[in-house]
Amino acid sequence: MSEDKGDRREFLVKLGIGAGVVGIGTQAAASLRSLLPNVSYDAPTTVKLGLPADFPDGMKFLPEQRLFVFREGKVFHAVSAVCTHLGCTVRAEALPRPETVEVAGGALRLTHGFACPCHGSRYAGDGKVVSGPAPRPLAWYHLSVSPDDGQLVVDLAQEVGRDFRLTTA
Amino acid sequence: MATPAKNESPETASAPGVRPNRLWSFKPRSDREAGDAVVSNFALHWFPAKVSKPSLDWTYSYWLGTISAALFLLLVLSGLPLLFLYVPSVERAYASVKDIEWVVTFGSWIRSVHRLSAHLMVAAVFVHLVRVFLTGAYKNGSGRGQRREWNWVIGVALLLLTLFLSFTGYLLPWDQLAFWAVTVGTNIAASIPWIGAQVRELLIGGRNIDQPTLIRFYALHVIVLPGLLGALFAYHMWRVRRDGGLARVDRVATLREKAADEPVRTKTYTLLGVASGVAPTIRTASLEARDLTVNAVPDLVRRAAVAVLGTFAVISVLASLIRSPLEEPANPLVTPNPAKAPWYFLWLQEIVTDTTFTVGGFTVNGAFLGGVILPGLLVAALVAWPWLDRSPAGAAGVWFHGSRRRQNAVFLAAVLAVVVLTIVGTFLRGPSWQLFWPWQAWPDIPARI
Repeated sequence: MSEDKGDRREFLVKLGIGAGVVGIGTQAAASLRSLLPNVSYDAPTTVKLGLPADFPDGMKFLPEQRLFVFREGKVFHAVSAVCTHLGCTVRAEALPRPETVEVAGGALRLTHGFACPCHGSRYAGDGKVVSGPAPRPLAWYHLSVSPDDGQLVVDLAQEVGRDFRLTTA
Repeated sequence: MATPAKNESPETASAPGVRPNRLWSFKPRSDREAGDAVVSNFALHWFPAKVSKPSLDWTYSYWLGTISAALFLLLVLSGLPLLFLYVPSVERAYASVKDIEWVVTFGSWIRSVHRLSAHLMVAAVFVHLVRVFLTGAYKNGSGRGQRREWNWVIGVALLLLTLFLSFTGYLLPWDQLAFWAVTVGTNIAASIPWIGAQVRELLIGGRNIDQPTLIRFYALHVIVLPGLLGALFAYHMWRVRRDGGLARVDRVATLREKAADEPVRTKTYTLLGVASGVAPTIRTASLEARDLTVNAVPDLVRRAAVAVLGTFAVISVLASLIRSPLEEPANPLVTPNPAKAPWYFLWLQEIVTDTTFTVGGFTVNGAFLGGVILPGLLVAALVAWPWLDRSPAGAAGVWFHGSRRRQNAVFLAAVLAVVVLTIVGTFLRGPSWQLFWPWQAWPDIPARI
């Protein structure tokens, strides 16, 4: 009988401690979970950039999208300005003489190179890493023409290969 | 001893534990009064009644821990007025800091006190760690129940907290310096394979550095991290008492041991040990001997006051001479060139620049290797060191003890590497992170394209 009582007391103590641990653990988990955002108020990833005709031949830098848009006549492509090392915005440096190179099976006229101010990574005009700590080439993003008003649209969530070109009418 | 106040009965005055002199006395006339001065004073209750003379030496500890604590106190004090003046919102943060700098009376000085204390605290805590290592002060000596190695671990945690406190404070002005330092810092976290993106999202409260980031860093900076640091600091000090004072005291005790009389537990250290019964037993010889110990009041108090008030004075003067910088408002569209982290992270910025490598088509990002793995290994080595250190107990509390020559050399080489990389990052890196001599002019690079 007394042994039975001891068992019960021990069990209740353990139950109490267990309930305390579970209670505090749940509250801690709930508090931490509240710090993970459920809704993103970030800028949308699909952005209208303006009419294709408004883009100059060669390169245009769009700071808000951190994007370089290249135009060669009716052919467009877009290269990210976000350094793949630690996310600083790279700068375009005009080449003294444009050169045409073979990129992903097609010819590409390079007018610029890119340099990152943070840790000195350098990229070729097609985004390929030339030197520095950058681990990957600059991303290329998908371009399209908006069906409603004919503006150029970039999808910053959709990376494309370096053979991607958008030819406008 | 002072005469009891008139309204107190003689019995009360003479009862054990009742102190007729309620006022703290700076010039105690007896050991009893000196002891009372500590016990009856809230600010001093964590002091021992007696301290060994060698542990008070300026040139043993250089009082770096005290100076770090004084700087932390100064940071809390100067942070209070800033707390009333600063607005943690992306629209108003920059303007409020600008007001603190140019509109608020003495605002610029208060901000400078806060900033300089923070910079110096990083330095002081680091040098304190170097001192403790080189004197082998994390080693246990002759006392029983000592856990000095754990106090070293607490110390490493305090250093990390100090760095993180500085880093979170860095973002608050919401200027260019702040914005890009945090961009780089949080992208280091993002370089961790698989979970990196989520860790960064948790840190900055979204995918871009914006209002959620500012409020997170603000909350961490003003309450979470100072609270943690304060709690750990209290424990750090408690452990110092618990472990029998500075490591040097043990050495004095050990040397005395041969000539010592019967070991007797002393009043001083059993005060703390009564409850658990594992008070470190320090030989009476070390504590009671007149030629080796002094009363904490006034000797310890006086020196601590010199260290603390001296720190206050130096910072006050420096703060009126050196103004705090405020760059252009944060602009996510333009990365300044060069974009430098705060100086105490520049050695890391140097490392992340140089550690990207490719093995068989698989590229390891320098940000991960240099920004996560390497600092992680350094911290792990620091934490584990007391257990790897096989030198004898006699090496505790001695500068450059002969038995620790090799490990001191390894440690100093690491310290030197960090210092050299910091200097290179601070003084020799120019636009696009290229190397320039200090006397070389930087090329003109337009801020915008």
